[in-house]
Amino acid sequence: MTRDELRIGVYVCNCGTNIAKVVDCEAVVEMAARLPGVVVTRSYKYMCSTPGQEMIVQDIKDQRLNRVVVAACSPRMHERTFRKALQTAGLNQYFFEMANIREQCSWVHDDSEAATRKAQALTRGAVYRVAFHEPLDKLYVDMCPSTLVIGGGIAGLTAALELAEAGYPVHLVEKTERLGGNLARVDLTAPFLDPAADLLTDRITRVHENRAIKVYLASELKELSGYVGNFEAVIGPAGEGSPGAAPSCTVSVGSIVVCTGYTEFDASRITHYGYGRLPNVITSFEFEAMLRAGRIATREGRTPQYFAIVHCVGSRSREYHGYCSRVCCMTALKYAHEIKSAIPGAYVSDVYVDMHAFGKGHEEFYRQSSEAKTLFLMYDKNEHPLIKRAGPHDDCEMLIEVNEKLSGEVIEIPADMVILMVGMEARPDAAHVAHLVNISQDKEGWFIESHPKLDPVATTTEGVYIAGTCAAPKDIPDTVAQARAAAARILARIAREKIEIDAVFAEVDEEACSGCRTCVELCPYSAIEFDEGRRRSRVNSALCKACGACAAACPSGVIKARHFTDRQILAQIEGILA
Amino acid sequence: MAIRVNPKLIDEIERYGAEDVSNCYHCGNCSAVCPHSKDPFVFPRRSMRMLQMGLESKLLSSLEPWLCYYCGQCSEQCPREAEPGETMMSLRRWLTSRYDFTGISRLFYRSWKAEVVAVIVLAILTGLGFAFYGLSQGDIRVYDGPGAFLPSARVHLFDWGMAAVLTLLLAVNSVRMWWFTVGSRKDIAVPLLSYLKGVVTLPFHFFTQKRYAQCGEKGPWLLHLALMLSYVVMFTLIMFFLHEVQAGPQINWSVHAFGYAASAGLIGATILMLRGRVKKTRPGTKHSHETDWIFLVLLLYVGTTGVVQHVLHRTGFELAANVAYLAHMMGVVPMLVLEVPFGKWSHLAYRPLAMFFSELVADGLRARAGAAQQAGVPGAQPARVF
Repeated sequence: MTRDELRIGVYVCNCGTNIAKVVDCEAVVEMAARLPGVVVTRSYKYMCSTPGQEMIVQDIKDQRLNRVVVAACSPRMHERTFRKALQTAGLNQYFFEMANIREQCSWVHDDSEAATRKAQALTRGAVYRVAFHEPLDKLYVDMCPSTLVIGGGIAGLTAALELAEAGYPVHLVEKTERLGGNLARVDLTAPFLDPAADLLTDRITRVHENRAIKVYLASELKELSGYVGNFEAVIGPAGEGSPGAAPSCTVSVGSIVVCTGYTEFDASRITHYGYGRLPNVITSFEFEAMLRAGRIATREGRTPQYFAIVHCVGSRSREYHGYCSRVCCMTALKYAHEIKSAIPGAYVSDVYVDMHAFGKGHEEFYRQSSEAKTLFLMYDKNEHPLIKRAGPHDDCEMLIEVNEKLSGEVIEIPADMVILMVGMEARPDAAHVAHLVNISQDKEGWFIESHPKLDPVATTTEGVYIAGTCAAPKDIPDTVAQARAAAARILARIAREKIEIDAVFAEVDEEACSGCRTCVELCPYSAIEFDEGRRRSRVNSALCKACGACAAACPSGVIKARHFTDRQILAQIEGILA
Repeated sequence: MAIRVNPKLIDEIERYGAEDVSNCYHCGNCSAVCPHSKDPFVFPRRSMRMLQMGLESKLLSSLEPWLCYYCGQCSEQCPREAEPGETMMSLRRWLTSRYDFTGISRLFYRSWKAEVVAVIVLAILTGLGFAFYGLSQGDIRVYDGPGAFLPSARVHLFDWGMAAVLTLLLAVNSVRMWWFTVGSRKDIAVPLLSYLKGVVTLPFHFFTQKRYAQCGEKGPWLLHLALMLSYVVMFTLIMFFLHEVQAGPQINWSVHAFGYAASAGLIGATILMLRGRVKKTRPGTKHSHETDWIFLVLLLYVGTTGVVQHVLHRTGFELAANVAYLAHMMGVVPMLVLEVPFGKWSHLAYRPLAMFFSELVADGLRARAGAAQQAGVPGAQPARVF
């Protein structure tokens, strides 16, 4: 298509007053009208509105437009919207270009004239660029309906059941000898006091009974290859492998849900608390074990009278973890409740930093605990309480020295048993799992979601989802919700049978490739394979995210990033600078 | 030196009427809304805290409960219905029992039954004593003058004797109060001049109850002031003009006018207070400890029988007047003996004294801060916790 045949429509959006109050939209329109190939120019209040889109569709039909430029907001916001309008009008959606004159002009500049000049330059760049756009078609790959779920805790069980009960096969891999995860170590759950065993038993039974779920105990994921819809996973015995463990096998799956959970903070790291040194300083999980066994007693076998529960052990502090572990506050209140039910004469001191009672029924539970005379004592998160042995004349075994913030006094709390509310920590093997499934970890070791708010179950690797406490500390309802959300996302994909892959990806001209492998090393998505036989690189378009790193680095210049060709980019630069 | 937390103290103070103290989560709304809460006496949140934590020595040395007049704004503001106002009230009862060296106060506050028994026993003893004395030397048909059943001169002597004993008891308890709140405090030294200055303001506080008026609503203050002034007038008449009061049957307006006004004030105010407690009209009357009822009922009984015996005498029913007089004394003696040194009435001394002592403590703290500043000690100013 030569320049003479170009019929470009340029649309300048006012975005209400968001753009128009700074940028002179009419000046942008006037400038655009004089550009080569431009046949239609309009400015409109809201281009993204239905009338705005219809205007484009109508012009494409009436004015026989073959390129469209919209100068409006960020393409992240509305590129899809306008591409759809082109599709509706029967034009290939890639004959479209957007100039961002809101985020890049009106929202960031005060000087109206300069902003208008910048908006004109960006629009001109878009017009120059769109002339070189090529029609591209989306690609489709098959979607394997099986799913690999890693981890047999409440998240993994929930995700597996959700998928299997919809009729699709699930491979559930659990590292330990039994299902249930950390929840299996818990007695009652806060704040409604349902037994954890009740929550779990039903699900574990259903998992074992469901023929669509294949459970691999004492196993782990050994290797993963492929891409969304078409992964190959090698499952083998956990760790070095024990003699009785099942041999390795390879399964084909379309999606992966990572539900590897958390591990608890090692309380002996805080020497102030004397964990491991003082016999009756125990962790919350050790206390859970007592509750599940139905007998609360000191190591010497006595029934304690004074209990102290210390919050934020390993959480919310400068030295250990900055984050809040989210479940300990309510668990501590649950302990106070269980202690008072079991030992009516007991006194419970709750040594806390801040009480986080954010969920449904939590504030009420906190209040109930106050009413039951749990003594709440506040300490500064950077000033740890000191736990020491009491003297021979004290009526208690230990004394906890705290600079109590609400009274301003340095106090001693009597205690016969101290329960340390140990926080959640990313598992030590999380890095290994992250590497296997190609997802990222934050600085604390938690897996990173695709978007913390809008896409909390997907990851940056298509087809790999995360659920539960492997992503961040959460309580049971949030974990279950996330697991079900992951399952719902997978089911939606399975229902479509094919996976649409964006037409924007890199391509290697295999005839010209010298086989240097620079691109293979560079690709952050492991999307480039090297064909050893032909000594050529090949891009797996399903894995490619079109970042362009390979295209820029290729010493032979034979990698082309579709929709980001040199010609297109140079034309855009030329337009901006013209 | 760290102070030991005593989680058991709260159970003890609950017997003095405190409830829901453990609900408090220390938002501080109560201290913010309290018109009396001013540095260095910031309350009621701090008192709630001391109580929750069971810091007994701190509570015993605190004057804050006496600086509160229970307007109840704190309880109304409380997001957790922890009833800070009622806590301050209960702390006043507890402090009263701790100031009292005999232990009688503690017994009565913890068991209203014991108090009722004591009232009845004392009433019977008083009745028997006066009846025996009256019959042995006079005529029950004669009210005053020669041969009177209970001659005013003798009753006068008895009154003075009783007043002396009760004043002594209350004085000892007041000294103990001083020791707990000011004298025993090692951290401050009160300048002597402060004592002199404070003594001057004592009567002013006593007669005007100015602080009570600062509570916002004026009604409760006026009612309380009316009751207190009526009581003072009646006390003066009985202690200094008993002879003139009892002489009759004609009405001596120059004396009796005061008596009538005082009686009207006593009975009227008592009825209104009882009504408030029955109808629970404001936060301060919502919670009534048993001892509150005993006190008000006794007061109403004493006021009414006093009026009845007076009216009967003036109308010529001398026998009936003497019987009513006997009944009156059977109320007066237990009420004064039990309530003034050991019960609710002791606050007639503790309230103005607390104001006096709080000025002493404030002066002491100021002196300490000044000295620390001069010495250039960084951070000598104690951390303020509201």
